[in-house]
Order: sequence, then structure tokens, then C-alpha cells
Amino acid sequence: MGHPSVDAITQEAREAVAAAQSAAELEQVRVRFLGRQGVLTQLLRSLGTLAPEERPRVGAAANAAKRELEALLDGRLDQALEAERGARRARARLDLTLPGRRPPRGALHPLTRVHDEIVAIFAGLGFSVAEGPEVETDAYNFEALNIPRDHPARDMQDTFYLSESTLLRTHTSPVQIRTMLVQKPPVRIIVPGKVFRRDVADMSHSPMFHQVEGLAVDRAITMGDLKGTLELFAREMFGSKSRTRFRPSFFPFTEPSAEVDVLCFVCQGAGCRLCKQGGWLEILGSGMVHPNVLRNVGYDPEEVTGWAFGMGIERIAILKYGIDDLRLFFDNDLRFLRQFA
Amino acid sequence: MKIPYKWLREFVDLRLSPVEAADRLLNAGIEVAAVTPLAPDVRGVVVGEIEAIERELGESHGHRLLLCRVSTGSQTFSVVSGAPNTKVGVRAAFAPPGAVLPGDRRVETATIRGVPSQGMLCSERELGIGPEHEAGILVLDGDAPLGRDLVAHLGLDDHVLEVEITPNRPDCLSVLGVARELGALTGARLRRPKTVLTESGARARALVRVRIEAPDLCHRFTARVLSGVTVGPSPAWLQARLRAVGLRPISTVVDVTNYVLWELGHPLHAFDYDTVTDVTIVVRRARAGESFTTLDGQTRALDDSMLVIADPRRAIGIAGVMGGANTEVTDATTHVLLESAWFDPVSIRRTARTLGLSTDAAYRFERGADIEALVDASARAAQLIAELAGGAVARGLVDAYPRRRKPRRIRLRMARVARVLGVAPPQAKARAILAGLGLPTRQKGTALEVDVPSFRRDLAIEDDLVEEIIRVWGYDKLPSTLPASAVDVVKHPASLRQAETVRRALVGAGLAEAITHAFSDPARAALLRAPGAPEPLRLVNPLSQDASLLRSHPLEGVLAAVAVNVRRQQPDVAVFEICKTYEAGEGETGAREPRWAAIALTGARAEHAWPTADARADVYDAKGLGEHVLDALGVGRLRPGGPGRLAGFEPDSHGTLATDGGALAAEFGEVAARVREAFGIDVPVFAAAVSLDVAAAAPQPPLRYQALPRFPAVQRDLAFVLGADQPLTAAELEAKLVEAAGPLLRRVTLFDVFRFPDGRRSLAWRLTFQAEDRTLTDDEVNAVQARVTEALKGTFGVTLRSA
Repeated sequence: MGHPSVDAITQEAREAVAAAQSAAELEQVRVRFLGRQGVLTQLLRSLGTLAPEERPRVGAAANAAKRELEALLDGRLDQALEAERGARRARARLDLTLPGRRPPRGALHPLTRVHDEIVAIFAGLGFSVAEGPEVETDAYNFEALNIPRDHPARDMQDTFYLSESTLLRTHTSPVQIRTMLVQKPPVRIIVPGKVFRRDVADMSHSPMFHQVEGLAVDRAITMGDLKGTLELFAREMFGSKSRTRFRPSFFPFTEPSAEVDVLCFVCQGAGCRLCKQGGWLEILGSGMVHPNVLRNVGYDPEEVTGWAFGMGIERIAILKYGIDDLRLFFDNDLRFLRQFA
Repeated sequence: MKIPYKWLREFVDLRLSPVEAADRLLNAGIEVAAVTPLAPDVRGVVVGEIEAIERELGESHGHRLLLCRVSTGSQTFSVVSGAPNTKVGVRAAFAPPGAVLPGDRRVETATIRGVPSQGMLCSERELGIGPEHEAGILVLDGDAPLGRDLVAHLGLDDHVLEVEITPNRPDCLSVLGVARELGALTGARLRRPKTVLTESGARARALVRVRIEAPDLCHRFTARVLSGVTVGPSPAWLQARLRAVGLRPISTVVDVTNYVLWELGHPLHAFDYDTVTDVTIVVRRARAGESFTTLDGQTRALDDSMLVIADPRRAIGIAGVMGGANTEVTDATTHVLLESAWFDPVSIRRTARTLGLSTDAAYRFERGADIEALVDASARAAQLIAELAGGAVARGLVDAYPRRRKPRRIRLRMARVARVLGVAPPQAKARAILAGLGLPTRQKGTALEVDVPSFRRDLAIEDDLVEEIIRVWGYDKLPSTLPASAVDVVKHPASLRQAETVRRALVGAGLAEAITHAFSDPARAALLRAPGAPEPLRLVNPLSQDASLLRSHPLEGVLAAVAVNVRRQQPDVAVFEICKTYEAGEGETGAREPRWAAIALTGARAEHAWPTADARADVYDAKGLGEHVLDALGVGRLRPGGPGRLAGFEPDSHGTLATDGGALAAEFGEVAARVREAFGIDVPVFAAAVSLDVAAAAPQPPLRYQALPRFPAVQRDLAFVLGADQPLTAAELEAKLVEAAGPLLRRVTLFDVFRFPDGRRSLAWRLTFQAEDRTLTDDEVNAVQARVTEALKGTFGVTLRSA
């Protein structure tokens, strides 16, 4: 049996705990019995006033009562807090179907996406990016590339002129010249950038568009390397099942020259609207760098060979995303741009 | 260029369908844009003869309607015709009931003016084979077999190859040229057209003199003379061929020159012999100020860079471009002087461009005609004229050939073939390929020596022959290899990495990237031009006036993008563009191309965000994005810059940001109303332009770790009240505050701006104090706070806002 007054206190405390309705009331019970001025605390503190033979018994009983009460309070307090949190959440009534608060979502231009992909593919093959001015000299844009003045090949690229000798570059090829003039072979570059042709804007023409030029010059570069590289590019860009076709063409600054087609991915070569029934889609022009071009930059065509290619970024984007009007790229309608976010 | 397949097969035996032939050509570098049936939609139309005109049925649309009896040999039909050339005895295109005309038009027995018409007599246009309709029905040769299928009779049961010849291959600008190519590709033998020229009478040399005064521009000029010619319409087969290739039949003589041009590729010109003064041809430069009326009736001003064909008195043709009205062959012509010559390509090209005259002749001469083959062309044309228009061909050819073509030989090493291609055919194969193309080869030492024929002006160097070999052998023979191992570390230019950083930052901040044209409209450019700014660069040959300048203001593109979206019911726009502007500069291109990040905002700050749906973008968003870009580029320490340089902002809403070194790095503000209105935008737009060149040049302190603070920080919020009229800026106050606070102040952040109804402003800063070596006491911080309050009060007279 415990100490009579300890027993009474304990009983009273048990009742108080049982009667408490909330965490706050439980806290009041704790203060009343276990606080600094609490009943049990006072009792323990007054042990010294008891007879020495009574102290151990009363002390033990009081400590036991204190432990019991603490455990009881902790348990009830947890329950009460839990219940109160629950009640609070129930009152808040979150409607989780309300839209989430998203950070605003921007969008890269589709041409940038394709540009980045092309740059990444060729960086993986050891090609560094080179850049050049958009206002160019006739000398770099044409003459150094084996396109003399008054040559019908100039009809292939209708040109915006700023003066007799300066123009908006019609291709990124002048950067080939600029690079080779300052760099000894080997050279391995790609040149992305804006180019300009004097074409009225319509579904398939634009007075400004983007090209990526590629150039590799070394002691033993062959047309087979060109073919292998561009086939690899097409597989990376259009998927491992894509098929390419090389066919002869003409560019004044390459010899031999080749155009590269990919098998139409809509019809698999059967002929459809996208490929204009041809079964193939033209993606780029290329060839072995013309010896005259190598000589123009001080390279010896008996010592080094090289290849170059040029592809339109819009053309690749059109094929990749199924875009049917070139003007969409430059309208910048957000409903278009956000499709590429 | 249109090449009828049957015509092609006259010169080479092909066991290929037209589509297969097109495929072979494509794989050898001659693109075939289309293979189309010549008369796809005509069925059941036959040769009929108008045996009798039975009666008149009155008028319709100004034409007499005639009831005719038409015979197809085995049957007769009663047919109404309103054609003006309806005549008894004429054989013409007749569509009996059941025939089908283009547009799936089925011919039936129709009732016209109460009379049944059993089918119809057809015009060229009704048959879909030419434009002619007003002149009446398509009249055929008198000996056209009655009842014969018209399509077969006119050779229209054929396909046309639409070939696209690259500028290096003028030799393929003819039926013969394409046939030669197909011969080389298939191994079939080329059959050149047979010319059996019967000459008679006087020697041509006695009938015409030729004097070349500009041998640099005319390397060869030949003349033939035909007499007793009767000019009239060409026979149906010739007209049909010309129509099939898109040419309009005119008269025998002219049609023959066009026919030979198409067949052999050499342009010819026929003069009315009797109009040439003194029967003397002078090939000379035009005189400055000389004017000349060409065949098309246009009078053209010539200059002394142009070459003319003249007689001793006057010009009679623009060499290689177009003949003259003064010597034109007409129905009255009886003597014909036939020119077949070679002109300098550059001169022809310049002349044609200067005069804005592009003709089939000029197109070929400027690409390079065959100086040897022109003799054959002349003979072929003379023979055909004699056959079709009668007359006698004078004996011999007057041939002035001052600049004889030098034979060209190219050395070809098989080792070079392998070096360039990565593969090579056996030498014998290579020689066979070249021989097929008309290039004889000889072994010379270890190499081959190749003779280049006169029609292949494009072949100049060894690699040209490498291309010929692989072109015919097949590009599918090329191996697929990769270049030997990488040569260097891949290194992209700083500008590319910088652009990537800006894109990442702004896309991350919710903006969409725009790409716009680099052209500019002078009216807009004027609005956007700051006083004293350099003139924008101007295109010599713009597409249109409103795109005649190069962009000189970085915001032009993004404003255009905002305009498009606002116009298309998308009021909330946040876009950016990485762009260039263009201005006159030093150096070989004469231009500078500064680079920018341009930003424009309008409408709601964030679309559809329900707690803050009404928050509108304002000038501080534009400023903040400018700061964000610069911060991303490592230019985090910014201060207000001096006056801006860009025009186009509202004067009271135009701020700048400068780098630590004082360089103007960005401008921002509200776009001036008259500027955005010029773009068609009727809502406020806020914009920023960050100079990527300045950002790139700003010093970038290397990244260094700084030890984290070890002692707790103390925060204090202080709000100061500024008088209504006090022209003080937040930056001025903050600078003084930082200065007064001293080194214990670690961070200062403006967190509230409030305007009282009476116009006074309250600015509140959160100050964070921290020491490196101790925990700060309240007393220390209170002292600093008092110092700050005193300093601001003493300097600016602003007081702490009471609680």
C-alpha cells in the first residue's frame, strides 16, 4: 500500500487527467501536479520534514506516482494533439483539385532545340563550333569559294547586297574560309548561324534562315568519311532506323558534290505529301572541298583533303516536328513556341 | 527543262520506263522534278474532216454557229461549230460522243439551237495541250489519217521529264545532252540526229560577209543563207513538240531554230536576209547611248559593255540574247540568214541581267555553249528549214573563228581517285566510264591522259574527273567510314556558351524564346533611333521598302513578337530573343554586329496563377529580368548606370544598369506609347535590352569559397518616410544607409514600399547584422541602428516610420 496522502494525490491526478478535454487542459493538470509548485513536487520537496523512517517509503511512493502521472500525461497529450491536428486539418478542408501553383514555364525556340542537337551530335564527333559575321564580303561569301562574279552559280543564291563588295551572307560557308585562313590543318568545325537569301517569305521560303556548316580537313579525309559521318548524323537526328541516300549534285566549292536525302519517315519511301511523292527528303548539300578553295586559303590540295556540308536548321526542324509552314518559325506565336517547351 | 521521252529515245536506245530513266538521271546528278504524261486527260479524240457545212444556225458570242458534217473515215457526225476557222475540207481534232476531255469532261450529244450536235471540234485549249482558243479549232495536216487517235497522231502518248540542270552542265540543256548522259549511264549507244544537208546554188561566202570586231566576246560566228523560203505555220508534229516543251509555235523558220535549240542545245538566230544592209554582219560592242528595238517590241538602251550583231548601218540583234525587230523573219521573208555563233558567257550574262531579259538563248550562252557543235546545229536547222519551208541552202558555211578552242587534256591518277573517294573502281572500269561520257583516255606513264570534249566546259581539273567516275559508277559504291580519330579538344566559342546561359536563365524564368527577321522598316527604325545614333545599314536590293534596313535596335524583334501575340488574342506575353543589331563599322565587312539579349513583357505576370491572377508585369519585372540575365552571366554586381543610349522608352520609365566598372550593360523601361503603337500594340509593354558584348567584357572574379558565418545574425527592419516632393531615390538612401551602418551590416534588402494618401513614401529595409568573431549584443546593434537613423535624418531629413 502506498502512503495515504500519496494515494489520494495520485487518485486525484488520475481523475484530473481523465477529465481533461484538450492539450491545454492536460498541460494545466501537469502544472497542478508536476509543476514547480505542483502538489507532487511539493510533496517530494517536503520529504525532509518527515520522520527519517518514513522518508524512504513515502519517497518511493511519491516517485512512483510521479512516473505514473508523467506516463499518463504523455500518452493523453499525444492523443489530444493528434486529435486537435486532425480537427484543424478537417476545418481547413483542402481542395486538392485546385490547380497547383507552377513556376512559369518558358520555351526554347524549336530552331534552338534542333541547333543544340546538331551541335551536340557533332561535338561528340570532335567538331568545335566556329562563328562568323552575318554581314560578309563578296570575297569570302563567293570568290574564295570558287564562285566568281558573273558566274551562273550565283543564281543558286539570290543575294542581298549592302554595297558593291559587301552583302548578307548567303550561306555559312565563308566561315570555312575565315577559319582555314587562321588555322593550320587539321580542321574540324561546325558553323551554325543565320543566312540570308533574297526570297519572298512563303510556306517554303524565307529571306532569313539558319544553316549549320561542317568542315573537316586533314591529311587523309575521304568522301567515304563524309558519307559515314552524315549517315551517323542522320541516325542520331532522325532515329536509328533512318536511311540515307547520297546522290551527285553541284556546288562550286565542292568536287565531287553530293546531296543527301533521308527516306521519308511518313511513307517509308512509298510517296506521300511530305516528300512530294518522291519517297525521299532532301536534308543537306555536301562534297569534297574544291582544290581551288583549299588553295585560296593557302592549303596544298596534294597534302590535305577535306569535306564540307551545309544543312538548313529549319529544314531539319520541319522534318523532325512535321511543321508545314516556314513562316511559323519567325511569327513567334506563343501557341507555337510553347509546343516546344 | 522539259524533255519528252520519245524525243529522247530518238537518240538513245533505252529499255527503261520514263520513271526508271528519271531515277538513273537523279542518281547521276540530274534532278528530275517530275515525270508527267503529256496528255493525261484526253481520250477518244480523233482526226476528223469537215466534209460539208450544212447550214448556219445564227450567232453566238460574235461567232457564226455552223452545222457541219464531220467524217472520221468510217462514220459521219453532225456537229455544231462556232470556230472562226471552220472550213470545208479541213482536218481537225474531233471529239465524238464518248470522248473525254481534260477535267474529266465527257463529250455527249448536245442540243444546240434545237439541233443535235454529235460531239465537238476542239481547240488546243479544250484539249489541254496549249493556250490557243480564239483562233478556233486545232487544224491538222491535210494528210492526217482520218479516224486516227489524236493523242497518238500528235505524239502526245508520251511522258515529259522535267529536268533541273545545275549551272555547271550546260551540255545537258538539250534532248541530245540528256540522251548522251543516259547513254553513259546505261551503256546504250548514242545516235546523233542525221543531217543530210543538200546545198545548191551560190556559195554562202558570196552572199554574206562576217566581220568580228570584238573577238574577245565572240570567239566564233557562222552564217548560212537559204533562199526561196516560204514562211508559214509549222507542221503539226513540230508544233506539238514545241508545245510539249512549253514553247509557242510561231512559223516554220522560227520554230526550227527553237526546235534545234531544244534538240541540240545550241541557240540559233534567223534574220530576214533582205533586211541586212550590204549583207554584211558586224559583231561589235554597242555604242554608248545606242538604242535598239528587240523582237518583243521593247526599245532598249545599250552600252559599250554589250555585244551586238550589226550590219554596217545599225544593230540588228543583241548577241546571244535577242534578235531585233528590224530584221525579223516574217511571212514575207524569202531569204534567211542563219546565225550560229559562240559568245563569251560573262558578257552575255551581264547584258541579259542589265537589260532584264532572260531568254532560252542567253541562259545557254551564259552557261557556256559548245563552240564546236554550233556547226552541226546550223546544218541541222538549215536542213529542217529547207524541208519544211522549201528553199535552197547556199553552199558552204561562212565561218569566222578568230579564237580557236585549245584542246584540253587532264592528267588523272587512279591513286587520286582513291584518295579523294576512299574507294576506286579498277582502271579499266574508270576508262570505260569516261569513254561512255565522250572522254577518250590514254595511258601515260602511271597516269591516264583524258581528252576533254568541247561540250564539257565544266571539266577543268583532275577532281572533276574523279566526280565523273563516281557519279556514273554510283555513289552507293562509296564506303561509309568515319574520319580518323579526333584532332583536338572540342572547344566552343564563348559567345555560344554565353547564349546558352542566357537561354537557360530566361527559359527558367518562364520566358519563351523568339527568333525574328533581321530586317527593319525605315519608319519604325526612325522612331527607335536615338539622336546622334549612326545611320542604320541599308540594303541595296531589299525585297520591299518595309524590310530595307538591317535592324539597329535590339528590341525590334521582340516587339514584333509581342505584336503578333497581342493581335492573336494572347494578351500575356513574356518573350526574349538573342539577337544582333547591325551598324556601320571598320574592317573588311564595314559592319559591326553587337549582340543582345532582348526581353519584352506585357499583360499578366504569370498566366492563370489563381492567387495572383491580377498581377501585371511592370517595369520592375523588366529590370529584374535584365539583372537576372547579367547575374547568370556572372555580372552580379550592378549599379544604376548613367543615361541610356537606346531610344524607344518612356522618358520617366527608362533605367539602366552598369557593371562594377561602370560599363552600360543593360537598359530597361516601359516602351514608349508611340513606338509600340507603330508595331500595332495598344497595351503597355515593358522591355529590357542586355548587351552581351558588355557582359562578356565585364571582369569575372574567379569563384572562391567563403567560410560560413559561425555566429548568429541579428535582423532589424527599418522603414523611413520620405516627403511627398522629396526627389530621393531608393538607391541614394540605401547607399547612405550602407555607408553609415559600417562593417557589421551583412545584408540589406528592401522589402516594402508604401505610399501614403498624402503622397509621402515609406521604404522599408531588412538589415542583417553579423560579426565574424562574436555573437552581437543588442546594445551593439542598437548603436548601429541609431547611427543609421541619424545619418539618414541628417543627410536627407527622412525619419523612421513610427510603429
